[in-house]
Amino acid sequence: MTELHWLSATEIAKAYAERTLSPTELVRALLDRIERLQPRLHAFIRLDAEGAMEAAKAAEAELANGHVRGPLHGVPVGIKDIIDVAGLPTTGHSKILVGNIATKDAVVVSKLRASGAIVMGKLSTHEFAIGGPSFDLPFPPARNPWNPRHHPGGSSSGSGSGLASGMFPLALGTDTGGSVRNPASVCGIVGLKPTYGLVSRRGVFPLAFTLDHVGPMTRTVADNALLLDVLAGHDPLDPGSAASNARHFGALLDRGVSGLRIGFVRHFHEIDMPAHPDVTAALEDAERILQAEGAIVDTVTLPKLSEFAGINRVILCSEAWSIHAPWLRERPEDYGALARRRLLPGAFMTAGDYVGAQRRRAELIAAVNDKLRDYDVLMCASSMDPASEIEDAAETARTYPRQARAPFNVTGHPALAMMSGLSHNGLPVSVQFVGRYFEDATVLRVAAAYEKAAGWHKKRPPI
Amino acid sequence: MDPTIAALAKAAGLDKVLAKFPADIEHAAAQAMGHAEAVKYPTDPAAEPWPPMKAETAL
Repeated sequence: MTELHWLSATEIAKAYAERTLSPTELVRALLDRIERLQPRLHAFIRLDAEGAMEAAKAAEAELANGHVRGPLHGVPVGIKDIIDVAGLPTTGHSKILVGNIATKDAVVVSKLRASGAIVMGKLSTHEFAIGGPSFDLPFPPARNPWNPRHHPGGSSSGSGSGLASGMFPLALGTDTGGSVRNPASVCGIVGLKPTYGLVSRRGVFPLAFTLDHVGPMTRTVADNALLLDVLAGHDPLDPGSAASNARHFGALLDRGVSGLRIGFVRHFHEIDMPAHPDVTAALEDAERILQAEGAIVDTVTLPKLSEFAGINRVILCSEAWSIHAPWLRERPEDYGALARRRLLPGAFMTAGDYVGAQRRRAELIAAVNDKLRDYDVLMCASSMDPASEIEDAAETARTYPRQARAPFNVTGHPALAMMSGLSHNGLPVSVQFVGRYFEDATVLRVAAAYEKAAGWHKKRPPI
Repeated sequence: MDPTIAALAKAAGLDKVLAKFPADIEHAAAQAMGHAEAVKYPTDPAAEPWPPMKAETAL
């Protein structure tokens, strides 16, 4: 049997059904692993060992009585620390919110609890999902299990680090400019930014209202679909929530890609932002694998990456400033230097900049929709480089913005990043798949076919 | 520091930041200009923003 800490949610559910594993046995094994790895990886801000064991005992009793709530019943999950879990602090990894105890679960956490999932605790993030990796905060930054000298990506850093190191099989992240998909890319896991509006953000500390998404992070594509099944659904109290009927996100996972049309956006990594050769080689391999599986792959062109990035930054900075202005005015010293520097530009944006960016955004959405009329899915780079060394601030500053994720925060299309190989120095590199609105299931279908053919999900970090 | 930037920072209520972290103010102003310059604003006067301004059945 696979070591307990590497079991997927799918395998855990099967083992529970066969009575070869119990929730308390699994949670105990994971707590032991967390105790051993946390001092090196810092994935957790707040581990809730007691709460997790209580939930495991409750799940065990229900399962023993034949009451199976669903496929996530008794499955452990980590929660990024900008998402409220009742009774635990939501700090945003910031001194500003130290001691801020959540009184209610976020909607996504309520849904997880109702499904029987076991909340393990709160996970490291970049400060307020924007400022990091930082060493001037109340908690240390998470590190990459593939090499702890390296950055695990962000801002959902603890989610990526904890999944890749076998601390839990499921995690929640958030994504405003790529923060689910960046850790997925550099930690070798699967991260989906769902269609804008598919998953409620109520109870999640906002960064930028019209760009924010909550997304499932997992080690396998099938687990990602299972987690999205639980998270998705209309929330009339979230103004950004869509009344969509999209469901059953794993329904197409076994269909393969034969006959699907995939548009490969090469100019992102070849011209707009030339990628590291290891990233480029892995993308070419991914194209060959998908073609061998029967997909039709053509090169397509979208607006330049720099324009998507500019629009993302104008909107993000403007909206984030409206949230943080009171604290920036009164408590600037309580922010880490990176968050302060990344939040302050909003003070210098004009109303015209903001509205102009939102108007141009509509044109960029039309450009992506136009391509998605001819192609089932788009494929492109995610990170242009393997993870930087976390203490090399200059290299992190150089590589961090070198990404092709922000375009799909601007447009709201579903976008998934996953491992596509290892760099020459043994760090994960990645590929990204993008789909039509509310066709997240098709994105997961392509990802599942690629995962099965490429097999990168079987690689484990040497930790 | 450019006096216009200092004036804008004060107008935004950032006196404390200006006093304690003046380099952050200069950096932020430069960043804001760079981000805004990267955007090609629509030339069609009727181009509407996204998310759309939606008039629901009840306001």
